[in-house]
Amino acid sequence: MAVREEIDALKAEIQGVLGKTESTQILERLKAEVLAVISKEENQQAILTLRTEIFNAITGSKTLQDLDQVRVRTLGKLGILTAYLGSIGSLPQGERAFVGKTANEMRVAVEAALEARKAELSAFEMAARIDASAVDVTLPGRAQQMGTRHLISRITDEVAEIFLGIGYSVAQGPEVETDYYNFEALNAPPDHPSRGLADTFYVRDLSGAAAAVTGESDVLLRTQTSGVQVRVMEQQKPPIYVIVPGKVYRRDVADPSHLPQFTQIEGLVVDKGITFGDLKGTLDYFCKQMFGQDRKTRVRAHYFPFTEPSAEVDVSCGICQGEGCRFCKGTGWLEIMGCGMVDPNVFGYVGIDAQEYTGFAFGMGVERIACLKYNVPDLRMLVEGDMRFLRQF
Amino acid sequence: MKVSLKWLKEYVALPDDVKALCDRLDLTGTGVEAVEKTGAAFDKIVTGRIAEKAAHPDSDHLWVTKVDVGEANLGEDGTPQPLQIVCGAQNFDAGDHVAVALVGAVLPGGAQIKKSKLRGVTSCGMNCSERELGLGAEHDGIMILPAGAPVGLPFADYMQMGDVVLDLEITPNRPDCLSMVGMAREIGALYNEDVTWPSHELVEVGEAASDYVTVEVGEAARCPRYTARVIKGATVGPSPDWLAERVTAAGARPINNVVDVTNYILFLFGQPLHAFDFDSLKSPDGKAHIVVRPAEEGERFTTLDGEERSLKGDMTVIATPERAVALAGVMGGQDSEVTEATTTILLEAATFSPAHTSRTSRNLGLISESSMRYERGVDDNPIGFNTDFAAALLAEVSGGEVCSGIVDVWPVKTEPVNLLFHLERFNAMVGADIPREFVCETLARLGCEVGEALGEPESAGEPGRGLHGKQAEVLRVVAPTFRPDLEREIDLFEEVLRIYGMDRVEPTLPGGRGRIGVRSVFEQALATVHASLRASGLNETMTYSFAEPGELGRLRMAADEMGCAVELINPINADQSVMRQSIIPGLLKSVAYNQSHGVKNIQLYEVGAVFFGAEGKKQPKEKQKVAGLFAGAMGEVGWNTQPAGFDFFDGKGALENLMRELAVPRLRFKALESAEAPHLQPGRAAALWSGGSLLGWVGELHPLALEAFDAVAPVVAFELDLAALVKAARPARDYIDIPVFPAVTMDVALVVDEDVTHERLLQCMVGAGGSLLEQVSLFDVYRDEQRVGQGKKSMAYALVYRAADRTLTSAEADKAHERIINKVKGATGAEVRGS
Repeated sequence: MAVREEIDALKAEIQGVLGKTESTQILERLKAEVLAVISKEENQQAILTLRTEIFNAITGSKTLQDLDQVRVRTLGKLGILTAYLGSIGSLPQGERAFVGKTANEMRVAVEAALEARKAELSAFEMAARIDASAVDVTLPGRAQQMGTRHLISRITDEVAEIFLGIGYSVAQGPEVETDYYNFEALNAPPDHPSRGLADTFYVRDLSGAAAAVTGESDVLLRTQTSGVQVRVMEQQKPPIYVIVPGKVYRRDVADPSHLPQFTQIEGLVVDKGITFGDLKGTLDYFCKQMFGQDRKTRVRAHYFPFTEPSAEVDVSCGICQGEGCRFCKGTGWLEIMGCGMVDPNVFGYVGIDAQEYTGFAFGMGVERIACLKYNVPDLRMLVEGDMRFLRQF
Repeated sequence: MKVSLKWLKEYVALPDDVKALCDRLDLTGTGVEAVEKTGAAFDKIVTGRIAEKAAHPDSDHLWVTKVDVGEANLGEDGTPQPLQIVCGAQNFDAGDHVAVALVGAVLPGGAQIKKSKLRGVTSCGMNCSERELGLGAEHDGIMILPAGAPVGLPFADYMQMGDVVLDLEITPNRPDCLSMVGMAREIGALYNEDVTWPSHELVEVGEAASDYVTVEVGEAARCPRYTARVIKGATVGPSPDWLAERVTAAGARPINNVVDVTNYILFLFGQPLHAFDFDSLKSPDGKAHIVVRPAEEGERFTTLDGEERSLKGDMTVIATPERAVALAGVMGGQDSEVTEATTTILLEAATFSPAHTSRTSRNLGLISESSMRYERGVDDNPIGFNTDFAAALLAEVSGGEVCSGIVDVWPVKTEPVNLLFHLERFNAMVGADIPREFVCETLARLGCEVGEALGEPESAGEPGRGLHGKQAEVLRVVAPTFRPDLEREIDLFEEVLRIYGMDRVEPTLPGGRGRIGVRSVFEQALATVHASLRASGLNETMTYSFAEPGELGRLRMAADEMGCAVELINPINADQSVMRQSIIPGLLKSVAYNQSHGVKNIQLYEVGAVFFGAEGKKQPKEKQKVAGLFAGAMGEVGWNTQPAGFDFFDGKGALENLMRELAVPRLRFKALESAEAPHLQPGRAAALWSGGSLLGWVGELHPLALEAFDAVAPVVAFELDLAALVKAARPARDYIDIPVFPAVTMDVALVVDEDVTHERLLQCMVGAGGSLLEQVSLFDVYRDEQRVGQGKKSMAYALVYRAADRTLTSAEADKAHERIINKVKGATGAEVRGS
């Protein structure tokens, strides 16, 4: 303001020297020039100050929230810079261009600074959030508890898949069978000892028919799934390639190695030109798939009424690799199934021409495989439904 | 069957390697169950010779000996070294041959020989006395062996006490192998060795057996041959050592010379014999009149074992006119057995029908060495030879005389079977090229007669040659009568393959055309059932198909429509004496088992058959069911979880998942009244329907049902019929377009009476919704007497409206929403809450 007073004093002085009109004109012009210079400097100064203030506020904001307040204070509807820009219209003509240009530049700069700081702060905040949300990765996971398949079904599936892969289908049949399907049509002699009350569960025959031996009956719990083979051969023309998984029953008291109810899988092939070599090759393939490529198989001649020739199949012991150990009782072999070529008499029962077709059949106990593959020490665990056992598989 | 190799060696040469013999037997169908070495008691006891004898420096009665045991003791350089043994006996000199127990030997009395010091002198073994070896009472000094006795031989071998007894599993088709000669023939075939048949020399004296005995066979089918011989002047007493030893090796207990001879012949030839005390059979005329006849129904008879048995008409007895004296083929009678007082013996050698013997044995629960052989088949042809052999032996060991002749009734003679053996067919069946010579040789060794087939087209050229000069492809084979299992060509095939070695056949895979491995529709659906239930957290289990009678009643399950329980005639336990009609009781037992073992999270399911009988029907109806249950709480207490107790909706949710997976259409859960499902808790039970077919039920089991099974609530269970389920299932769900235009969601809370179900509200809304209503979901059920009212509940739904072809305006949505609300109000008396 000192300048203005000096100018006024100078004006009075000049008025005194010059004529009023003339001096006034000169002085007014001069005043305008000087004031213009002063105003420009003042505006410049003010903008600089404002700019510094705003930039300090931006860099000084510690949170995104603070930063947003800065944005509102400066560029918001009622913000300083907005107000400043709004006031340009009221400036003298000469100053407008300059002030407008400067202020706009400043707005661009402020916006950029806001963006930059925002990015910076976002990154900080994310890092802080991430830091804060770290967990102890050794804590137990939040498991969705899936249910489990029963070991016996698991093995049954495994066996079925192997045979499905070489062209077999799956067949099923009743568990309460007639003597015909369980014994007679399978060529078991009428007085075969396996039909005894000590081995077979007999069911009260509600048709009123009487059995030849007291206490026995024409109806029984199947002791083998072989009856289904007969049913398949009755219903289907060769070629037949089926496996038959299912529950069977034998009159054994439950103990660690016996159950009165267990699971069997039988296979049946009837086709032209089927050989004993085919039977061996099939079972060899199966054992390698089931127990491992390094396992060997051997067939031992045996006797079953429904096959001829008949054999039992051993797989080399997986524990001692066939050397002989406690697990295999020193033999190096583990018995896993019975098999043989379908007896022509069985073909006779179902009306298949034994001159045209040959076939083989085999059967294995799933519980036995469970013991061999999973070392289940007590078969009774398989029917107890103990969750702690079931959840293991 | 127990087979002493020492005994067997008399008839056929055996390989030295017992293990190899066992393997060969195993592979050819004779299972070796056990290998028992007798004479094992003399393990580590060898023959020796006293090389030096010196006085003990610190004792006046002990001797320090150096005993040469040959190879049984080797020094560090590998050459035989004598053992230093301190000995207290006074009856020996240097140079004597003795029995030496080596360090580690366990004497028959149980004493173990250790390396020790006797008054400062090391002793490495023991020179044994007879008593120490368990051979006698002699204990005055050590056992001195003859001067020429070898040195370093196992003592058991020296004494010829070493034997190997094989316990063989003879398959039921091989009665011939239930004898020493049968096994000799089998092994002869395996090793291509000749068999030396045992022989005897029978001397008969004056009187004819027929002067003593008459035999009458009532039903030939029950007794194809019955023979009797008479031995007079016998003295019943202990058997000679060799006989007792043989009988013992075969697994029997020596009884007396007469019984032991019958057992010996049984083991040797597989021919059961019975020796009667002749005097106790005599009729007043002084003769024994043997009648083989059916037993009378209810006839009482006391067998040798002292047990009185009630007989049936299907059983056969050996009788005199007065009474039954033996149960044919199974066991003799107590009051006609041979005793010390017996002097005249009636020796029975017969054959009885396998079927009758088997049934008799099974009906009485009485299995004997005889019945075991008769039910598999005893050949009637060699009986004459066998009984002669037996009689000669009886005379020899009892000092008696054999009356001349044999009383022989032989109504049915077994004839050899004539068979053909097509070589080409055989090799085609086996998948190998087994030479003709091998086939002929093997069959002959097994006792068949083998020749060229005559009159066969192949051999129409020169004899034994085919038309093109080839050897005939067909053999004529006569199967021996002791092989009842050789009835058909295929049986011969098996014999040759068995002896050839199944292991020698090249493994191949069938090359059949037209085979397809495929799972049936049922199997595929079943796999989905399993997968879905497991995904719902259920664990598959397997329980017994057996059930306890009255179990359904305890479960409170209505059994009226299920038919009757299938009863076992011969159950193992009373609580497993019928077949199950529902899987739930079995599962509940597992729940109780788990709960008693502290398991709190129990999720089980089972797929299996249930059984329903019907009067007049032979075979019961079997239905496949899938049942499951949730007991206790979901999950375990964890650092970040709390277990949630199971309720109705866990069961329902699992079924909803399952139905979704099976794409079962028109699914409906319909509340079950307590009368319809008494085993379920009323108000928490529902039947599951697909359209008009009932699939099963789901609900919380009734507290009383749980109590009966010692299970603790909550237990949510379900049981579905698999056939109905698979029938209702569709192979796939339909594709529905994913909406392009936005939806409008509007919420409404409906205050209704308690008895208005969600299902009812849903029906009203869906019914009135028209095409714009896309989805209705219940998001809150709220009860508050003050705000909602007594006996009322507030059901809050979110209704989603959408048009498939345009953006819905709010006016359209409002209109549809209003229509729905009005409909629901009108139909159920609902009030809109907050309006």
